[in-house]
Amino acid sequence: MRYLIGLGNYLAGDDGVGVHVVEHVVANGLERGFTAVELATNALNMISYLGPETEAVVVVDAAYLGLEPGDYCIFAPDEVETQKELAGFSTHEGDPLKVLELARSAGYTIPPFAVMGIEPLGVEHGTGLSARLSERLPAYAAAAIEHLRGL
Amino acid sequence: MTSTVHIDVHHLTRVEGHGNIIVNVTDGAIEKCEWQVPEAPRFFESMVRGRHYSEVARITSRICGICAVGHTLASVKATEDALGIEISEQSLKLREILKHAENADSHVLHAYILVAPDLAGAPSVFPLVETMPDVVARALRLKRLCHEWGSLIGGRTTHPTTVVPGGMAEVPTNKQLAELKQKLVAAVPDLEATVETVAALAPSIPAFDRPTEYLALSSDDAYAVYAGEIQSVLPDGTKQRYPVADYRLVTNEFVVPQSTAKYTKNKLDSYAAGALARFNNNYDMLVPEAKKAAEALGLQPICTNPYMNTVAQVVEVVHSVYDSLRLIDELLETGVKLEPLAQPTKHGRGIESVEVPRGILFHEYDYDAEGICQGANCIIPTNQNHNNIQHDFNVLVPQLLAADKSEDDMELALSMLVRAYDPCISCSTHVLDVKFVR
Repeated sequence: MRYLIGLGNYLAGDDGVGVHVVEHVVANGLERGFTAVELATNALNMISYLGPETEAVVVVDAAYLGLEPGDYCIFAPDEVETQKELAGFSTHEGDPLKVLELARSAGYTIPPFAVMGIEPLGVEHGTGLSARLSERLPAYAAAAIEHLRGL
Repeated sequence: MTSTVHIDVHHLTRVEGHGNIIVNVTDGAIEKCEWQVPEAPRFFESMVRGRHYSEVARITSRICGICAVGHTLASVKATEDALGIEISEQSLKLREILKHAENADSHVLHAYILVAPDLAGAPSVFPLVETMPDVVARALRLKRLCHEWGSLIGGRTTHPTTVVPGGMAEVPTNKQLAELKQKLVAAVPDLEATVETVAALAPSIPAFDRPTEYLALSSDDAYAVYAGEIQSVLPDGTKQRYPVADYRLVTNEFVVPQSTAKYTKNKLDSYAAGALARFNNNYDMLVPEAKKAAEALGLQPICTNPYMNTVAQVVEVVHSVYDSLRLIDELLETGVKLEPLAQPTKHGRGIESVEVPRGILFHEYDYDAEGICQGANCIIPTNQNHNNIQHDFNVLVPQLLAADKSEDDMELALSMLVRAYDPCISCSTHVLDVKFVR
């Protein structure tokens, strides 16, 4: 099984872009040959989608990458290091990269895995994406699906 | 006695959301001793105004990524109360199983990932992968089980989709329920090992007692997590029940300068909600296996050590597994089928409550004749605990000073105390922040 996983806070502006991408995929019948999963802010539940039976995973999430707001980059976890100051570890701090690190160190078989990071414009409380990200949802979905199929 | 202390924990780690610990002691005099909550209100009650009743739980579910099931259930139940909707016995049982799944899921996360590092003397769960690999592997197995358990009933565990006003929009097949039963039974050795691990770490739990009031849902029929009346138990064992509709008379919200979150109190200066409050109120209704776990862990009602909340959570995980097995057996006996959703029969005000991992949760809504929400109020358990945490601080800090504890030891003791309440202050943004290294 292949998984497209959307992370983010739906009520924090562009932070929820990963969730919106998953919604777009499901609403438009694009979920073919893979399963689209919304994990919202509960990144630790990614654990359930890792293992030998999983063929590939693409996680879509908002990310500060130094790009123009709305631009995106797809990268492998070992291409980056997290800049988050995680003195501890909680669901609130649920960085998918830290979850992956925990799973790997605990002996989980990590499938081919990529992160699609989308530069947010604003992450203030409120429903909906900024117009800049919202109009690019079809492009985000297409790119994530194409990458997932090629992993 | 320690004479000078300056503790400034700005955003305590391993709690959900942001809270600060500030203690200033000069020449033995406590100048400041505060548990501060600085997060901005998010005004969910405003977001649901003008929305149709079918949309409200979808929005309030987003209050929390961990207690999304609880917010969905409280919201849907309050809507059903307002609209005169009666759900079927089958829907009730499925929702109870879902509630158990969420409580167990959150408790496993809290006990293993957030608290165990303190008890094992580690800064986070990551070093435990090296020192206690079997324990971490078990934690992840249980976390995965809870996720699958909730997902089967709720469609997904984070922001469930199947729970809607009038019943359940989708139901699992009998085969899926039977498979879930097998998974839960297969997890029993992990539950027993969890009790053994916590019992082994228990000597590291600080000895601190501060009698307070404990508030939880209570019922004569079950260890209440989905339904019941509000019950208060005082340290002397005196109990009093209140209708859920009277929740404002019990919570008595008020504001204080140090916190953006409102405080609450009832009979005493503060009260506690959460697993320990449920245990203290409803011990008699636990399944025998959970009582046995409590005995093994040295937990008995009425326990007034707030650090033992995590131990009560472990007892509740055992209860949730066994009570879910009972509910699954009952559902399999009659067979599960998709039922039509019950329809509204009236409109007006509805008030309901469920027990989420951190304690008793209240939702209230007003609907007009078209089913449009005209007003809402939500009181979450973490906010009900802030006042109690502050009163714990007021007693604990002088004790730590008198015991001549170092500043680091005091900071650890206070941090562990807050973490024991498992506060879920808010789900804020969690945007990735990375740097490319190749």
